[in-house]
Amino acid sequence: MENRGAEELRTYEEINRRIQSGDVVVMTATEFIEYVESYGLEKASKDVDVVTTGTFGAMCSSGAFLNFGHADPPIKMVRCWLNDVPAYAGIAAVDCYIGASCMSETRPFEYGGGHVIEDLVSGKEVELRAEGRVTDCYPRESLETTITLNDINQAMLVNPRNAYERYNAAINSSNRTLYTYLGVLLPNYGNIHYCGAGELSPLYKDMNFETIGIGTRIFLGGGIGYIIGEGTQHNPQNQLGTISVCGNLKQMSSEYLRGATFYRYSTTLYVGVGIPIPIINKRVAATAALKDSEIFTYIIDFGVPSRNRPIVKKVSYAELKSGKVEINNMEVRASPLSSFQYAAKIANTLKEWIEKGKFLLSRPVELIPNYREFKPLIIKKREFVVKDVMTREIVVGRLSDSIKDVARLLTERGIDHLPIVDDENRLIGIVTSWDLAKAIAQDKKDLESIMTKRVITAKENDLIDIVVKRMAEYKISGVPVVDEKNHVIGILTTDDISRKLVGRRLL
Amino acid sequence: MKLKLVYSHENVKKPILAKIVLKTNLLINIIEAKVTANMGEMIIDIPSEGEQLREVIDYLRSEGVTVKEVVRTIEIDHDRCIACGACVSSCPADAIKQNEDWSVRFIEENCIGCRICVYACPVRVIQALGD
Ligand code: SF4
Ligand code: SF4
Repeated sequence: MENRGAEELRTYEEINRRIQSGDVVVMTATEFIEYVESYGLEKASKDVDVVTTGTFGAMCSSGAFLNFGHADPPIKMVRCWLNDVPAYAGIAAVDCYIGASCMSETRPFEYGGGHVIEDLVSGKEVELRAEGRVTDCYPRESLETTITLNDINQAMLVNPRNAYERYNAAINSSNRTLYTYLGVLLPNYGNIHYCGAGELSPLYKDMNFETIGIGTRIFLGGGIGYIIGEGTQHNPQNQLGTISVCGNLKQMSSEYLRGATFYRYSTTLYVGVGIPIPIINKRVAATAALKDSEIFTYIIDFGVPSRNRPIVKKVSYAELKSGKVEINNMEVRASPLSSFQYAAKIANTLKEWIEKGKFLLSRPVELIPNYREFKPLIIKKREFVVKDVMTREIVVGRLSDSIKDVARLLTERGIDHLPIVDDENRLIGIVTSWDLAKAIAQDKKDLESIMTKRVITAKENDLIDIVVKRMAEYKISGVPVVDEKNHVIGILTTDDISRKLVGRRLL
Repeated sequence: MKLKLVYSHENVKKPILAKIVLKTNLLINIIEAKVTANMGEMIIDIPSEGEQLREVIDYLRSEGVTVKEVVRTIEIDHDRCIACGACVSSCPADAIKQNEDWSVRFIEENCIGCRICVYACPVRVIQALGD
């Protein structure tokens, strides 16, 4: 984009002078949208100096650097814990980084780094435990004490990835309830969860990154913070831009930093972020005026366990916020995970700060890129798939076989699982030696009445680890391997896995 | 009145509810059912009260079904709620709704006591009450 960041309508200095003299015009994004609808973009971009935004959602990639000061005798910490949550101590003698999604060793899924940060900010005492490496300059081996935010030197919230521009929404096509980082997903398309702040979303309101950059002063966790660069996984060309931010924890509030847990997934931190968007040119005014009905995201099926989860539908935030989305002719209930109420509170607070002259805007020293290649992680070590381990020479049965034939077959070949196929070698059931024992005890005569018809199967390119999990879940010891057309091409048993795989891994 | 019924492997195959319906003409609504070959759990809504309700409960008990009244099961601490909405669509019974300002309200009569919301709330401000 030519002249990205050009200050055509007003400069940062002009805005700050108006803030200081008290005649700056600030609107929240919601108010600005209404203003544009009433008076048009042309007039709105002339009348309004700053548009405020806000978001309050789970931002796992958050944490804080803490400096504890030196004990007597001093310690060089190599491992440390805050309320039993491990913090990274590989920095200097008494610095650590506590990450929001690191869980307590004694209360996992209940309490984690996010909760430690909330407890510190709300003034609570936190237990500090550390182990050190004894050196000539650091004689102490370990310590145990309690600290409060007041007791320690620096406490800097430094979040490598916050404020996603938009976020994918989630649905679950499988037949079991899933517990994910997008909340509880009920089976069979039972509900939709989504997050992001829609028309209040800070990064979406300046989606070309014309005003957002290193050094932008922002609302962070109830206090003042700064953008320190693009966030990790910044992917602006797909409206998945992110920022990294930092701020002094000592002036933040537990209202806008809340420790949280996604059940059976992890702990995290709800972070409040608000960015002022100076209306420096018409393009910025146009993006700041985008409405929920013009902001889109995708509903992704979490029932499929791979990185490339299928898209079920493209939806606008307006549709999501209505609470119901039509999927396959069904109305599915949708609810957010991030708080629109708090997002609005943040945009309003920031507006008030600016109007009262308490918050000046800063011109970024460098804009955040509006294009960034997005790389997946390539697994270079070979991972075993079903076809590496399965047995190809397999014995199958047919419905016309008698129970006696089948029993003989199993004992002669020393196998436990017999896939039953039709005339075209397509799988229709499976009989195990256990089924046979039952059949004989109950005096059953035909195969059809004893075989399992809903067979758990595997495909030849499935990862072994995933199939093993499936087998454990259904408590079975073997699965037929089928191709796309359900033809049986092999069998995989726990025996195959322990014999071939464990042996190879140990090599 | 909502009741939770627990069947054992001895009575799970008997048409107990059907008999009650035939005898009383009550339109019993099955809200949730988990039935396997050797046990079953069901939450039903019986549009009845007083003497007739007592009789139904007595009959269920005489058939060996464990009967528990489904009482108020959860409570939301609105002071600590962040109005996120994670509990809303997680609730299979539509018992938590979001207001215009995104705050949430609990609709007790819809609640079936499954407690999914207790786990769905990221800041743990929904409490399960009793058993
Ligand atoms: S207990 Fe179950 S039914 Fe009741 S409100 Fe919570 S999720 Fe809904
Ligand atoms: S999930 Fe918890 S915090 Fe979120 S709206 Fe429901 S009760 Fe409130």
